[in-house]
Amino acid sequence: MKNESTFIDVPAESSSAMKGKAPLIGVAKDNTTSGYNRGLSIFDFLLRLAPLIAASVAAGTMFTSDETLPFFTQFLQFQAGYDDLPTFQFFVIAMSMVAGYIVLSLPISVVTIVRPLATAPRLLLLVLDTAIMGLTMAAASSAAAISYVAHNGNQNTNWLPICQQFGDFCQKTSGAVVSSFVAVVFFMILIVLSGVALKRH
Amino acid sequence: MAKESTTIDVGEPSTVTKSASHVEVDEKKKKGFVAAAAGGGYKRGLAIFDFLLRLAAIGITIGASSVMFTAEETLPFFTQFLQFQAGYDDFPTFQFFVISIAIVASYLVLSLPFSIVTIVRPLAVAPRLILLISDTVILTLTTAAAGAAAAIVYLAHNGNSNTNWLPICQQFGDFCQATSTAVVAASISVVFFVLLIVISAIALKRH
Repeated sequence: MKNESTFIDVPAESSSAMKGKAPLIGVAKDNTTSGYNRGLSIFDFLLRLAPLIAASVAAGTMFTSDETLPFFTQFLQFQAGYDDLPTFQFFVIAMSMVAGYIVLSLPISVVTIVRPLATAPRLLLLVLDTAIMGLTMAAASSAAAISYVAHNGNQNTNWLPICQQFGDFCQKTSGAVVSSFVAVVFFMILIVLSGVALKRH
Repeated sequence: MAKESTTIDVGEPSTVTKSASHVEVDEKKKKGFVAAAAGGGYKRGLAIFDFLLRLAAIGITIGASSVMFTAEETLPFFTQFLQFQAGYDDFPTFQFFVISIAIVASYLVLSLPFSIVTIVRPLAVAPRLILLISDTVILTLTTAAAGAAAAIVYLAHNGNSNTNWLPICQQFGDFCQATSTAVVAASISVVFFVLLIVISAIALKRH
């Protein structure tokens, strides 16, 4: 049996590595990836404050959107508040829940900053953000539909536009709806951010 | 500068055991292939599940849009104050619903090739990321349409005593039933979209 052998001359370490100049490739890649992920996490944390403000503003504005008209009419109620419309009640409750969720998700975001290469907190954030974005959008769109009817009415169903009388109420509720749509946009950005951070390992 | 060298003794047995080495090489190749498949195995399963979910969502969204589109009703009697016909185009919100759910259905059809690509190449990242981003946008649109239509359907069923909005479902029973069905179908498709996004996220993450 003839044994064929090959001799490969492998330098144990590159001379520059021995001198400590060139870092090993594996470590460098790890540093770049974790640094990039850490940057994404910090951006995610800061971005979370935006929907927090938007959701709280929306809930607060809708909650305090009461209006009492100075005159009396025989047929229409002369007071308007968010609790006159069940959709607006849902809006206030949902927006408060969203604001509470964001406050609770801030620690998880901090965990992703501290441990940039861990996938579990990021995946958890992505899943929860998707669910909460669905809730926010549902509240925002249903309140927007009711606001539209309040502004324009509906001839076919004989629904009169109440904004003719309750101008301030309508203005405040519309502002709250716009603010909640802003929160939805930020949630979309947060979800995409988590997805991009997940793929980079 | 002393250069250290290591000599590696690669022993190659002779022709008698050449077949054995061949088998060794084959084994290594097989192991490598199995390793790749195992890494992409569960991802391929997720991709197939994603594809099937998309097919189901296409069916549901097309159903929702068409049910709302054909939700007309004409009452057999005349009244002085209320119109005796009801259709989806009497409500701008329902018009928005029909158009946006149709857009969602066509998006789903267009995203099927991307889903097939993720089945064929389970370890590719780019198609999954594209699907994740576009699914998020479409989820927003679907939820908007479903939520707005749900608000109007609720109003049609219950009315509002404070604003003097009368519940029209008292007269237009069939119309209300059809619109409610369409809203329920759209809400189910919202759940499907959330599942699709979560699947893309799980498949994106590496070990």
